[in-house]
Amino acid sequence: MKPIAWLRLVFATMLVTSALFPPQALAQVPGRFYWKSLSGGNALPLIYNSVSGNTNPFDPSHTVSPGASVDASVAMAGYAHTFTLADRSAMAAVIFPMGRISGTVTTAGRTFNQSTSGFGDPMLEFNLNVLGPPAQKNIPDALRYEPGVSVDLLADLALPIGEYDSSQPLNIGQNRWYGRLGMPTIFQLGPWVPGRRTTLEFLPAVWLFGENDNYVGQTLKTDPMFQLDAHLTRDFTEHAWGAIDASWYSGGKSSINGVPGSKLNNAGLGFTFGYTVSDNLNLTFGYKSTINDTGPGDMRMDSFMVTLVFGWHPLIEGSKRLKK
Amino acid sequence: MIGERMNRTNMTLLAVIAATVAALFFAPAPAQAQQKRPNIVIILADDMGYADMGSFGGEIRTPNLDSLAKQGVRFTNFYTHASCSPTRSMLLSGVDTHLNGLGNMDEWTAPNQTGVPGYEGYLNKRLATLPQLLKGAGYHTYMVGKWHMGKAPDQIPAARGFERDFSLLDGAGSYWDMTNFTGASPKSVFTEDGRYLTKLPEDYYATKTYTDKLISFIDANRGDGKPFFAYVSHQAPHDPYHLPKDWRNRHVGEYDKGWDAVRQERLKRQIELGIMPPGTELAERMWFIPDPIVLAPASRAILGKKMELYAGMVENMDHHVGRLIDHLKKIGEYENTIFIVFGDNGAEGSDLFEMIAGSPGSRDYLFAAINWSQTHPNAWGDPGSYVGYGPMWAQASMTPFSQYKGWMAEGGIRNALIVSGPDIKRPAGSINHGLMHVADLMPTLLEVAGTSYPKASQPDLPPLIGKSWGPMLAGKVDSVRTDQDYLAWEVFGNRAVRQGEWKLRWQIKPYGKSDWELFNVAKDPAERKDLAAQNPDKVKAMLVAWDDYVKANNVILPSRGPFETLENVLPQRVQVEAGFPPLIYKRQFVPPKEMLADPKP
Repeated sequence: MKPIAWLRLVFATMLVTSALFPPQALAQVPGRFYWKSLSGGNALPLIYNSVSGNTNPFDPSHTVSPGASVDASVAMAGYAHTFTLADRSAMAAVIFPMGRISGTVTTAGRTFNQSTSGFGDPMLEFNLNVLGPPAQKNIPDALRYEPGVSVDLLADLALPIGEYDSSQPLNIGQNRWYGRLGMPTIFQLGPWVPGRRTTLEFLPAVWLFGENDNYVGQTLKTDPMFQLDAHLTRDFTEHAWGAIDASWYSGGKSSINGVPGSKLNNAGLGFTFGYTVSDNLNLTFGYKSTINDTGPGDMRMDSFMVTLVFGWHPLIEGSKRLKK
Repeated sequence: MIGERMNRTNMTLLAVIAATVAALFFAPAPAQAQQKRPNIVIILADDMGYADMGSFGGEIRTPNLDSLAKQGVRFTNFYTHASCSPTRSMLLSGVDTHLNGLGNMDEWTAPNQTGVPGYEGYLNKRLATLPQLLKGAGYHTYMVGKWHMGKAPDQIPAARGFERDFSLLDGAGSYWDMTNFTGASPKSVFTEDGRYLTKLPEDYYATKTYTDKLISFIDANRGDGKPFFAYVSHQAPHDPYHLPKDWRNRHVGEYDKGWDAVRQERLKRQIELGIMPPGTELAERMWFIPDPIVLAPASRAILGKKMELYAGMVENMDHHVGRLIDHLKKIGEYENTIFIVFGDNGAEGSDLFEMIAGSPGSRDYLFAAINWSQTHPNAWGDPGSYVGYGPMWAQASMTPFSQYKGWMAEGGIRNALIVSGPDIKRPAGSINHGLMHVADLMPTLLEVAGTSYPKASQPDLPPLIGKSWGPMLAGKVDSVRTDQDYLAWEVFGNRAVRQGEWKLRWQIKPYGKSDWELFNVAKDPAERKDLAAQNPDKVKAMLVAWDDYVKANNVILPSRGPFETLENVLPQRVQVEAGFPPLIYKRQFVPPKEMLADPKP
């Protein structure tokens, strides 16, 4: 009997299988973002996207400008913390987007060929599980955890303090409040054993947007947008997993000075490969692309994404020190 | 094994007495001709502990086994052997292990035992087996489950008296498929009605399939008027703890309190039930097992989960025993069936998997990496997982005794026994403390069947060592043994003699002293106090019995054994005393509130 060996198993299981990722507000999030972990865990995500398309990836409303061509390098760094609230799993996170964007956009009859860079709008996220197993308040809870059917309530709020130049249509900051209400849902399919886990995950969400009263001197309004992300994820080994990802965007019709644009009705497909580098480090690589994007008003976007998440929990770090 | 210097003369005398008792107890011949003889069902649980069933103080839910206890009699002083095949061989032959072919476990036959008659590693040909004799007496004979007494065509159940069988010939294996443990023997071997199986039935799960098969055997011969003898040799709850999913989570968190608390609770119930006398002490927790209260919650949870699985194994087995009982009731055979329930030895505290696959780079390690590497707790119970619950829970299973399977402490050889059925004159639900032995089953059941051991006509047969329970079941005596009768055991070099209240025990270090120890197991069933130094005459007298046993049964102490290096592996043995050292038990000092103060500036 080697209790310390079991401790390590517990910690490793806890950290490598749990996604202490904060939300990635600017595009669909990879599968396993909302897996639960032991309360008191922490994570620092670093996310990099290389994006091409006809819309600004920093703008979650994905306002489409016909004929636009945009390339962007989007990076996000953040911090997430898991905790227990009323016996349920909860997570609070903050994300700081940053990056570069360049391209050609035509709006209100003017064509802009521009580039910009800097910090975007920080986003706060709060996620609370409402259906499924209770919070993993201690190690025994974590050992016995299986999601079964797990449903969360998710709220995001972006603070409009990112870099913004009102003379240009492409910006890192959005100069308006916006946020999201969602319901991350996980269906466990089969055993919850590392190397054999399969999940079907959905994230239905509604994005709500405030008004940008200085969008190249004009007023930009956007209707609420519905977004549904779906992921079928499957372990390949204890440390590697993959997912088929799909997204659907609907609504989000924008108007500039009262002149309405088109509603979005687009779908995207992609895949993700995830690998657990160590007890503390998760790596994912993914690609996604819109599919019904041939119309002039259709959103067209594809992106490569690499995420690196460093997670830790005081227990595992203490145990490692004791082992030395 | 069993004392009483049996020679041919007193064997004949015994046969005469047995026949007389049978005639008195089991109904006169004219009535027998009209009344069908009782069916006999032996339910043998593999590695089940003394204190696991509810009727013996366990918190594990065993309503079906308990119902047999409620209608029948529980026996608290019943002895098997310390390991599997020796017990089974005595059960089916009535002959001491050192004469019946299982003088040692086949897997551990020592160099100095190899080739010696009595140490063949299978039930040898010099025997008349219980199923052979019952078959000859007009019984149908069925076996399902684990055999572990030979694999060759002339050694399998069909060759040793069973008319129908569905048998696992190995000592253990997967409950889900034919996967076994070693690279040398990667597949378990099964037989059905004397043919070696190339594959297992659809929807195979050992405990369920064994029960299904037995029910089908019984039904196939229903109506021909013959009684049946069924040997239900369950693989459960032997590790690996393979278990259907819906049986795995019925005790979630219940065992996080740890083995000491479970042992205390079980002993309390045993005293309340009358299984153990008031004042019984628990055996000392083994020195290399930590006090669970000093373990982290994670460790307790993960170790507790092993016990959760074990409890599920026992409960699942009980469920299938219930299916058999229900079926017998449905076909009108229940009331005319004798049930005999017990475990084959102490609970398993050794790490069998570690012994097989513990050396990285070995052939068996690589075999395990492919076939037995589902180590995550959430996979426990699945095919490819191997969970055993370890010495701490084995000792809980054997409450209040010391040690477990493989050893000669009471935890290795004493087992819970239930007997129920027609013609038992003892009060329903009663408890008997008479000294009994697994080899008693042969003469007892031959008597039930109205037949006898054919020693007179086949003088070369080895002598039976047991005593019929007939007079005791008839309520005429409380024990079939006197204080002069002795029982004796030897396997792996460990040895013991029980005579009256006394037990003389020799065990290899560090579980023993590599010397004789003496215990009064009536007053001290936990074997806490070695009284050898205070009672040299008793030691001497019991050594005479031991020498007699060795001589009568050709006991050859093995030159090698599974525990020969144990002393070098385990921590040095120390006495375990509650609350020591205070260093790890003393709780935070809380000063009086009225004396609390902030620091002065």
